[in-house]
Amino acid sequence: MEARLQAVMPHDDSGSVRVLLFAALRDQAGWEEKRMPLAVDGPQTALQLWMALELGALPAAVRVAVNQQLVDPDQQLHAGDELAFLPPFTGG
Amino acid sequence: MLVTNSPFCLPSPVAEMGDAKAQQSERPKAVQVEIHPEPFSPWQRLESCCDGFAASAVFIGRVRPESAQGAHLDALELTHYPGMCERRIDEDAERLRQLHGAGAVLVLHRVGRLSPGEVIVLVVVQADRRGPAQRCCNELIEALKHDAPFWKREWCGDQGAWLSGNTPL
Repeated sequence: MEARLQAVMPHDDSGSVRVLLFAALRDQAGWEEKRMPLAVDGPQTALQLWMALELGALPAAVRVAVNQQLVDPDQQLHAGDELAFLPPFTGG
Repeated sequence: MLVTNSPFCLPSPVAEMGDAKAQQSERPKAVQVEIHPEPFSPWQRLESCCDGFAASAVFIGRVRPESAQGAHLDALELTHYPGMCERRIDEDAERLRQLHGAGAVLVLHRVGRLSPGEVIVLVVVQADRRGPAQRCCNELIEALKHDAPFWKREWCGDQGAWLSGNTPL
Protein backbone atom coordinates (compact mmCIF):
# COMPACT_ATOMS: atom_id res chain seq x y z
CA MET A 1 0.00 0.00 0.00
CA GLU A 2 2.79 2.40 0.88
CA ALA A 3 4.49 1.86 -2.49
CA ARG A 4 1.22 2.44 -4.31
CA LEU A 5 0.62 5.72 -2.49
CA GLN A 6 4.10 6.90 -3.29
CA ALA A 7 3.53 6.17 -6.96
CA VAL A 8 0.65 8.66 -7.21
CA MET A 9 2.07 11.38 -4.98
CA PRO A 10 3.72 14.24 -6.91
CA HIS A 11 6.17 15.06 -4.15
CA ASP A 12 9.53 13.60 -3.33
CA ASP A 13 12.34 14.58 -1.06
CA SER A 14 14.76 15.76 -3.76
CA GLY A 15 14.36 19.32 -2.49
CA SER A 16 13.86 20.82 -5.90
CA VAL A 17 11.21 21.69 -8.47
CA ARG A 18 11.32 20.81 -12.17
CA VAL A 19 10.58 23.96 -14.15
CA LEU A 20 9.33 23.80 -17.75
CA LEU A 21 8.96 26.61 -20.28
CA PHE A 22 7.12 26.43 -23.59
CA ALA A 23 6.93 28.24 -26.92
CA ALA A 24 7.97 31.90 -26.81
CA LEU A 25 8.96 31.71 -23.15
CA ARG A 26 11.39 28.95 -24.03
CA ASP A 27 12.99 31.03 -26.76
CA GLN A 28 13.21 34.12 -24.59
CA ALA A 29 14.84 32.27 -21.71
CA GLY A 30 17.12 30.13 -23.87
CA TRP A 31 16.25 26.97 -21.98
CA GLU A 32 13.28 24.63 -21.73
CA GLU A 33 13.80 22.80 -18.47
CA LYS A 34 15.76 23.25 -15.30
CA ARG A 35 15.70 22.22 -11.67
CA MET A 36 15.32 24.90 -9.04
CA PRO A 37 15.97 24.27 -5.36
CA LEU A 38 13.25 24.85 -2.80
CA ALA A 39 15.01 26.32 0.20
CA VAL A 40 13.32 27.42 3.41
CA ASP A 41 14.47 30.97 2.78
CA GLY A 42 13.87 30.80 -1.01
CA PRO A 43 10.86 30.82 -3.35
CA GLN A 44 7.85 28.96 -2.00
CA THR A 45 5.19 29.73 -4.62
CA ALA A 46 5.03 29.50 -8.39
CA LEU A 47 5.15 33.27 -8.76
CA GLN A 48 8.09 33.61 -6.37
CA LEU A 49 9.97 30.94 -8.28
CA TRP A 50 9.27 32.71 -11.57
CA MET A 51 10.80 35.87 -10.14
CA ALA A 52 13.84 33.87 -9.06
CA LEU A 53 14.33 32.85 -12.71
CA GLU A 54 15.02 36.52 -13.51
CA LEU A 55 12.92 36.52 -16.67
CA GLY A 56 11.11 39.76 -15.88
CA ALA A 57 7.56 40.15 -14.64
CA LEU A 58 5.26 37.19 -15.21
CA PRO A 59 3.18 38.13 -18.29
CA ALA A 60 -0.53 38.38 -17.45
CA ALA A 61 -1.44 35.97 -20.25
CA VAL A 62 0.91 33.25 -19.02
CA ARG A 63 -0.79 30.45 -17.11
CA VAL A 64 0.80 28.30 -14.46
CA ALA A 65 0.54 24.53 -14.09
CA VAL A 66 1.77 22.46 -11.19
CA ASN A 67 1.94 18.74 -11.81
CA GLN A 68 0.08 19.37 -15.10
CA GLN A 69 -2.90 21.05 -13.41
CA LEU A 70 -3.64 24.74 -13.97
CA VAL A 71 -3.23 26.65 -10.72
CA ASP A 72 -3.07 30.17 -9.35
CA PRO A 73 0.41 31.73 -9.48
CA ASP A 74 0.33 31.88 -5.68
CA GLN A 75 0.15 28.10 -5.52
CA GLN A 76 2.45 26.71 -2.84
CA LEU A 77 5.19 24.49 -4.23
CA HIS A 78 6.52 21.24 -2.84
CA ALA A 79 9.71 19.38 -3.52
CA GLY A 80 9.35 17.17 -6.57
CA ASP A 81 6.64 19.29 -8.19
CA GLU A 82 6.63 19.89 -11.95
CA LEU A 83 6.06 23.59 -12.53
CA ALA A 84 5.23 24.81 -16.02
CA PHE A 85 4.73 28.32 -17.37
CA LEU A 86 2.34 28.27 -20.33
CA PRO A 87 1.87 31.01 -22.93
CA PRO A 88 -1.66 31.37 -24.38
CA PHE A 89 -2.72 28.19 -26.14
CA THR A 90 -2.90 28.49 -29.93
CA GLY A 91 -3.46 24.97 -31.15
CA GLY A 92 -6.27 22.93 -32.60
CA MET B 1 0.77 8.71 -27.99
CA LEU B 2 -2.35 6.73 -27.22
CA VAL B 3 -4.01 8.01 -24.09
CA THR B 4 -6.85 5.58 -23.83
CA ASN B 5 -6.70 1.89 -24.51
CA SER B 6 -10.23 1.77 -25.79
CA PRO B 7 -11.44 0.94 -29.27
CA PHE B 8 -12.92 3.95 -31.02
CA CYS B 9 -15.99 2.14 -32.20
CA LEU B 10 -18.32 0.53 -29.71
CA PRO B 11 -20.88 -2.05 -30.74
CA SER B 12 -23.73 -0.06 -29.20
CA PRO B 13 -24.52 3.53 -30.23
CA VAL B 14 -26.70 4.10 -27.18
CA ALA B 15 -25.36 6.36 -24.46
CA GLU B 16 -25.03 4.67 -21.13
CA MET B 17 -28.00 5.06 -18.81
CA GLY B 18 -28.95 3.56 -15.48
CA ASP B 19 -26.21 2.03 -13.41
CA ALA B 20 -23.44 4.08 -15.00
CA LYS B 21 -20.81 3.16 -12.45
CA ALA B 22 -21.29 -0.51 -12.98
CA GLN B 23 -21.20 -0.14 -16.74
CA GLN B 24 -18.11 2.06 -16.65
CA SER B 25 -16.25 -0.57 -14.75
CA GLU B 26 -17.04 -3.13 -17.44
CA ARG B 27 -16.90 -0.96 -20.57
CA PRO B 28 -13.83 0.96 -21.76
CA LYS B 29 -14.06 4.69 -22.37
CA ALA B 30 -15.21 5.63 -25.84
CA VAL B 31 -12.64 8.39 -26.28
CA GLN B 32 -9.40 8.01 -28.21
CA VAL B 33 -6.79 10.77 -28.29
CA GLU B 34 -3.56 10.60 -30.25
CA ILE B 35 -0.91 13.31 -30.58
CA HIS B 36 2.12 12.47 -32.70
CA PRO B 37 4.52 13.91 -35.28
CA GLU B 38 3.74 11.44 -38.06
CA PRO B 39 1.54 12.52 -40.97
CA PHE B 40 -1.76 10.68 -41.24
CA SER B 41 -4.53 10.29 -43.79
CA PRO B 42 -7.87 11.36 -42.32
CA TRP B 43 -9.63 9.35 -45.01
CA GLN B 44 -7.93 6.12 -44.01
CA ARG B 45 -8.79 6.74 -40.38
CA LEU B 46 -12.40 7.49 -41.27
CA GLU B 47 -12.69 4.26 -43.21
CA SER B 48 -11.52 2.26 -40.25
CA CYS B 49 -13.42 4.01 -37.51
CA CYS B 50 -16.87 4.97 -38.69
CA ASP B 51 -19.13 1.99 -38.44
CA GLY B 52 -21.59 0.93 -35.82
CA PHE B 53 -23.15 4.39 -35.50
CA ALA B 54 -25.81 6.07 -37.60
CA ALA B 55 -24.29 9.58 -37.46
CA SER B 56 -20.73 10.83 -37.73
CA ALA B 57 -19.58 14.46 -37.45
CA VAL B 58 -16.10 15.15 -38.80
CA PHE B 59 -13.75 18.11 -38.59
CA ILE B 60 -10.46 18.22 -40.48
CA GLY B 61 -8.11 21.14 -39.92
CA ARG B 62 -5.24 21.88 -42.30
CA VAL B 63 -2.31 24.27 -42.41
CA ARG B 64 -3.14 27.49 -44.24
CA PRO B 65 -0.89 28.69 -47.08
CA GLU B 66 -0.57 32.15 -45.53
CA SER B 67 0.64 33.41 -42.18
CA ALA B 68 -1.55 35.42 -39.82
CA GLN B 69 -0.02 38.51 -41.43
CA GLY B 70 -0.90 37.34 -44.95
CA ALA B 71 2.62 36.35 -45.98
CA HIS B 72 3.49 33.16 -47.83
CA LEU B 73 3.87 30.45 -45.19
CA ASP B 74 6.66 27.92 -45.52
CA ALA B 75 5.82 25.81 -42.50
CA LEU B 76 3.83 25.66 -39.30
CA GLU B 77 5.52 24.33 -36.19
CA LEU B 78 3.33 22.79 -33.51
CA THR B 79 4.48 21.98 -30.00
CA HIS B 80 2.54 20.71 -27.01
CA TYR B 81 2.90 19.90 -23.33
CA PRO B 82 3.13 16.10 -23.42
CA GLY B 83 0.90 14.41 -20.88
CA MET B 84 -1.08 17.47 -19.85
CA CYS B 85 -2.24 18.06 -23.41
CA GLU B 86 -3.52 14.53 -23.97
CA ARG B 87 -5.18 14.50 -20.55
CA ARG B 88 -7.04 17.77 -21.06
CA ILE B 89 -8.32 16.71 -24.48
CA ASP B 90 -9.35 13.36 -23.08
CA GLU B 91 -11.21 15.01 -20.20
CA ASP B 92 -12.94 17.53 -22.49
CA ALA B 93 -13.90 14.83 -24.97
CA GLU B 94 -15.37 12.56 -22.32
CA ARG B 95 -17.23 15.45 -20.65
CA LEU B 96 -18.74 16.58 -23.96
CA ARG B 97 -19.46 13.03 -25.07
CA GLN B 98 -21.55 12.49 -21.96
CA LEU B 99 -23.12 15.96 -22.08
CA HIS B 100 -24.40 15.44 -25.61
CA GLY B 101 -25.06 11.71 -25.41
CA ALA B 102 -22.58 10.89 -28.16
CA GLY B 103 -21.16 7.42 -28.54
CA ALA B 104 -17.50 7.68 -29.48
CA VAL B 105 -14.90 10.37 -30.00
CA LEU B 106 -11.62 10.31 -31.89
CA VAL B 107 -9.07 13.13 -31.81
CA LEU B 108 -5.86 12.93 -33.86
CA HIS B 109 -3.48 15.89 -33.66
CA ARG B 110 -0.12 16.48 -35.30
CA VAL B 111 2.89 18.11 -33.70
CA GLY B 112 6.19 19.04 -35.28
CA ARG B 113 6.86 20.93 -38.50
CA LEU B 114 4.00 20.85 -41.01
CA SER B 115 3.74 22.19 -44.56
CA PRO B 116 0.79 24.15 -45.93
CA GLY B 117 -2.09 21.85 -46.77
CA GLU B 118 -1.07 19.14 -44.31
CA VAL B 119 -3.68 17.90 -41.87
CA ILE B 120 -3.23 19.25 -38.35
CA VAL B 121 -6.22 17.76 -36.62
CA LEU B 122 -8.98 15.24 -37.18
CA VAL B 123 -11.99 15.13 -34.86
CA VAL B 124 -14.68 12.51 -35.32
CA VAL B 125 -17.74 12.19 -33.12
CA GLN B 126 -20.15 9.33 -33.58
CA ALA B 127 -23.65 9.09 -32.22
CA ASP B 128 -27.03 7.63 -33.02
CA ARG B 129 -28.31 11.00 -34.30
CA ARG B 130 -26.84 14.02 -36.12
CA GLY B 131 -27.62 16.48 -33.31
CA PRO B 132 -25.46 14.93 -30.60
CA ALA B 133 -22.68 14.20 -33.10
CA GLN B 134 -22.58 17.73 -34.54
CA ARG B 135 -22.94 19.56 -31.22
CA CYS B 136 -20.30 17.46 -29.53
CA CYS B 137 -17.91 17.83 -32.46
CA ASN B 138 -18.32 21.62 -32.61
CA GLU B 139 -17.78 22.11 -28.89
CA LEU B 140 -14.85 19.75 -28.81
CA ILE B 141 -13.06 21.67 -31.55
CA GLU B 142 -13.47 24.88 -29.57
CA ALA B 143 -12.24 23.13 -26.44
CA LEU B 144 -9.17 21.99 -28.39
CA LYS B 145 -8.52 25.58 -29.39
CA HIS B 146 -8.80 27.05 -25.92
CA ASP B 147 -8.10 24.33 -23.35
CA ALA B 148 -5.33 22.18 -24.80
CA PRO B 149 -1.69 23.30 -24.36
CA PHE B 150 -0.64 23.51 -28.01
CA TRP B 151 1.45 26.30 -29.49
CA LYS B 152 1.94 27.27 -33.13
CA ARG B 153 4.90 29.00 -34.72
CA GLU B 154 4.71 30.26 -38.28
CA TRP B 155 7.81 30.03 -40.44
CA CYS B 156 8.25 32.42 -43.36
CA GLY B 157 11.70 31.87 -44.79
CA ASP B 158 14.06 31.60 -41.84
CA GLN B 159 11.87 33.78 -39.63
CA GLY B 160 9.69 32.09 -37.04
CA ALA B 161 6.93 33.84 -35.10
CA TRP B 162 4.89 32.32 -32.29
CA LEU B 163 1.18 32.98 -32.62
CA SER B 164 -0.33 34.87 -29.72
CA GLY B 165 -3.94 33.82 -30.19
CA ASN B 166 -6.34 31.55 -32.00
CA THR B 167 -7.81 32.04 -35.42
CA PRO B 168 -11.35 33.46 -35.33
CA LEU B 169 -14.29 31.08 -35.45
